[in-house]
Amino acid sequence: MSKRTREASAKARIAAQREALRKQEQRRRMTMVVTVAVIAVVAIAVGWWSIAQSASEKVTGNLAPISIQEDGSVVMAQRGVTAPVVDVYEDFQCPACKQFEETSGSTLKNLAAEGKAKVVYHVITIFTDEPTKSNSLRAASAARCLTEGSQWMAFHDKIYQGQPSETAVGFTADQLVKWGHEAGAGATGFDSCVRGEKNVAAHQEYSSKIMSALKLAGTPTIMLDGQSLEDTAFVPSALREAVLNAAK
Amino acid sequence: MVQLASGRPASGRLHSVRPARSWVTTVARLVLGGVLIVAGALKIGAPALSVEAVRAYQLLPDPLVKIVGYGLPALEIIVGVLLVIGLLTRPAAVIAGVLMIAFVVGISSVWARGLRIDCGCFGGAGTLGQGEDPHYFRELLRDFGLVLCASWIVMRPPGRFAMDSALGLAGTREPYLPGDVEGDDEG
Repeated sequence: MSKRTREASAKARIAAQREALRKQEQRRRMTMVVTVAVIAVVAIAVGWWSIAQSASEKVTGNLAPISIQEDGSVVMAQRGVTAPVVDVYEDFQCPACKQFEETSGSTLKNLAAEGKAKVVYHVITIFTDEPTKSNSLRAASAARCLTEGSQWMAFHDKIYQGQPSETAVGFTADQLVKWGHEAGAGATGFDSCVRGEKNVAAHQEYSSKIMSALKLAGTPTIMLDGQSLEDTAFVPSALREAVLNAAK
Repeated sequence: MVQLASGRPASGRLHSVRPARSWVTTVARLVLGGVLIVAGALKIGAPALSVEAVRAYQLLPDPLVKIVGYGLPALEIIVGVLLVIGLLTRPAAVIAGVLMIAFVVGISSVWARGLRIDCGCFGGAGTLGQGEDPHYFRELLRDFGLVLCASWIVMRPPGRFAMDSALGLAGTREPYLPGDVEGDDEG
């Protein structure tokens, strides 16, 4: 073999190698792009599914009749509907209760309106430290100043919308009076009842009775026919399904 | 020829060490990825609780709490799956490592501030029942171990049984080991 042909073949070999390397790099880049694209699509699908399956319901139509009981608990049910019973144990100051209300509150309203469940609200106070304890007591006491079920529910919703942080004094008398009026409470008795915190004792008595009787682990506790629903309560579709199954 | 002489013993040593190391990477991937998948899967069904758990740390402003609460479970699952199958191993391990460091910071901060919460790591709303005690030390130890797993993977990706290798995404060093050197030495 002459020197020249050897050089030529070496050059050709180097060129071929370069070409192969280039192709390989191109393939690698292509694979990378496709991989990232596939992962992005899967990520979007997972996120969409997560949001869709946990979407909150909208309140459709009128609420079922709401009545305030003598002990301060509140019943929302269509006439004659006595089962299944959904008990909601909540503290107006507890952030998880606000989260529950935002997530699943509308589902309970709809189920009651559809005549599929009797929903009972029990407002209690679980906090023992300040400022959360006093915030909770003021709000709960004010709710007991209402006499009309539909006003109570409107007030209940406003309270969660205006929930203060756990480190700040909130639910001030002025706020509570204002929300009460917005909810339809017109009587002058309401203002003095709220400002005088007249129902604190009755509320505390009810609250401690509930806590000791049920040994609640925390709020919110949602019970379906006496069984705690745990995490299910925070997934509207699962909550609805559980209640409908209990009705069968 | 000189290359060969000096290359042989080196590659001999590599052969005894490299497989063991790449198996360690595989095990680290499975542990880290497995934990992430379980943690994400337990939370993703109830994002409202996940949001609540994030809020319990009292570290993030409200809009961010929602984004993290909804996004974290999905991110955990996706990164976990990538680690287990060994796809985009290094970036996945970097994200997992950053997550774990964030968890370590979050739990330490909660501990330092004297808050009593459940970490919400594997679902739940981050609240403790009456009489329940937080397990901050255990949680920190676990997350710190997972940070180590992540760093190992970042340093030595992708390990055995990795999609990266199968797809040729593993980097360019490995294909050109001893075989090429010998092939070029014919003349």
